[in-house]
Amino acid sequence: MASIARKNLFEDIPRFLVAQAGIMFAVSLVTIQLGILKGFSRSTAIVIDYARADLWVASKEMVAFELTSPLPADYINKSMAVTGVDRAEILLVRAGRWRGPDGKLSPARVFGFNPDGELFAGWTLSDGTLKAIKQPYTAIVASGVQKSLGLDENRTGSIGGLPVTIVGTAEDVQSNASSPFLFSSLETANAYGDAEINSSINCIRQASGDLDCANSFKSRPLGQKNGELAPPKPLSLSDPISYVLIRAKPGQDLGQLKQRLLTALPETQILTQAEIAAVTRNYWEVRTGVGFILGLGATVGFIVGMVVVGQILYASVTDHLREFGTLKAMGASNGVIYRIIIEQSLWMAILGYIPSMGICLTLGQWTQMTRGIMILIEPSTAAAVLLLTVVMCMGSAIFAVQKVTRLDPAIVFKA
Amino acid sequence: MTAIDFKRFFGKMAPSSLSPVRVMTKEKAIVASHINLVYRNGGEEFKALQDVSLTVKSGEVHLLMGPSGSGKTTLLSILAGLLTPTSGQVHLLGEEITQFSRPHLAAFRLQHLGFIFQGFNLFPALTACENVEVAFHLKGIHQARKKAIELLDQVGLADRCNNRPQDLSGGQKQRVAIARALAGNPQLIMADEPTAALDSQNGHAIIELLRSLAKTSGRTVLIVTHDPRILDVADRVTDLEDGKIVTKLTKAKPGQH
Repeated sequence: MASIARKNLFEDIPRFLVAQAGIMFAVSLVTIQLGILKGFSRSTAIVIDYARADLWVASKEMVAFELTSPLPADYINKSMAVTGVDRAEILLVRAGRWRGPDGKLSPARVFGFNPDGELFAGWTLSDGTLKAIKQPYTAIVASGVQKSLGLDENRTGSIGGLPVTIVGTAEDVQSNASSPFLFSSLETANAYGDAEINSSINCIRQASGDLDCANSFKSRPLGQKNGELAPPKPLSLSDPISYVLIRAKPGQDLGQLKQRLLTALPETQILTQAEIAAVTRNYWEVRTGVGFILGLGATVGFIVGMVVVGQILYASVTDHLREFGTLKAMGASNGVIYRIIIEQSLWMAILGYIPSMGICLTLGQWTQMTRGIMILIEPSTAAAVLLLTVVMCMGSAIFAVQKVTRLDPAIVFKA
Repeated sequence: MTAIDFKRFFGKMAPSSLSPVRVMTKEKAIVASHINLVYRNGGEEFKALQDVSLTVKSGEVHLLMGPSGSGKTTLLSILAGLLTPTSGQVHLLGEEITQFSRPHLAAFRLQHLGFIFQGFNLFPALTACENVEVAFHLKGIHQARKKAIELLDQVGLADRCNNRPQDLSGGQKQRVAIARALAGNPQLIMADEPTAALDSQNGHAIIELLRSLAKTSGRTVLIVTHDPRILDVADRVTDLEDGKIVTKLTKAKPGQH
């Protein structure tokens, strides 16, 4: 049978295109909001996802990956002493003030880890090698943040007065919720974390009795000695660390290992990789309200789409009222007429969905490449948006269906 | 009395050949008994139809005539089961449709009735063939395209199968509408002012077509019209005025004086 729904839809191409633009706007809005929410959520714990640890030893006060209290470095040795632990590695999470080559300041997050280690850096480098950060005052930068850091072709900057030379770029590791990520050796990261700027006030009492004071600011890089830049000092057992990453021996029961680690390491919590990632994501999505805001955006997109499609369908049904009346007069059941309207709404849904998804995927790639912002559109997200679009379009057909239901077929005899 | 040119209807027949409704010997396709339709608006009543009784025999072409506002289209709507009368009964093909539920009525119309409208009521987005196919599909009849082309051929439009209504003349549109009405071979065709939107030549051609289709296949055709040009093709005329039947006239057959 010739599809009346499809033919009605394509009867007036300009009107159809305007209608599809409305649907595409709604679908894109929902997809981008969901994509940003998922991308944001994924990115907040993406560094954790790349790690290969079975368990993470964290402070009992830890709220999220980047919001935790320090642990004694000695816990690395204590961890290794626990039965069932195959390997343990330190992870430092430090905050720093980055000064780019243009002199502009920006916050930075510095992660310190053992470049010869096996448990932390599972990400891919688009340039450079992990071993390169063994050189003092070098770091790997997360892709997409070069612009934020003001990096030029020399790829240098400083943190707290200490120089930073970028020696590599890590792909797809940046959190959308955080300052730009830098990855260094434990020693370098520790030095950047401790680097600070001192201020001192020197006052001289004048003859008049007034005080003449001068406030001096001086950066105090810890590694500087007699004007020469000394290499960062090795991590000592008294230094604070952020996490201990644990790899269990093969065949170990992780539940039991957790208990043994808890006993050996007081004031800690032991989490699996999935658990610490979930805690972090939950923090950002729920406690910061970001999830609510992005979810609200997606809901608004859904409602806008429903209103747009509803108006279009209602107008279309009104335009073709005589035709629906003719069908009813001929003896078509309400079911036949509902099917036409619903088929029309489904055509609108599909034809609005496909180009919208293409636009969103392209936009997602562009934001990832240029801004480091992830709009994550996984197959499950795409399927969910398709389902939402269909529900949105079919739901909006209700008003049109009601209009046709109330239609008096005797309308057909009115000229 | 209306201004219908009965001379034209009866041609050169003698006035003595006019007779009231004959005793029905043939099968009755439509029997309407004491139909009343009253619209109430607040405390006021408007009687659209008053005690209308009508019989249409199978195989005849019956005209329902009258001036504008006489109630002829309203009566057609009731006879087609599209409107429920305030009182009275309608029997179509031996079944009392006034007792039917809406879905039952719809199914009955689909099975037994074909409609032709003043404004053609074709689906503008569909081609001529597709417009006819719709009726076949609604009735669940297979090979709709082949049968649609056959019907269009019967009405002289086989070569217009792929044309949309906008590309057809008024007369051609009405022919497509007739082909659609004939889909599935319904026993009853109900037409509302089928010539009103057509010029004299096309109007007459359409009526001749309807008459020949009725006569060759034994269908009953009920036509609402105020067009006196088509009187001569009718077997019988019922004249309606102010919601009442004022005249029932039958064309005399040779030897029935």
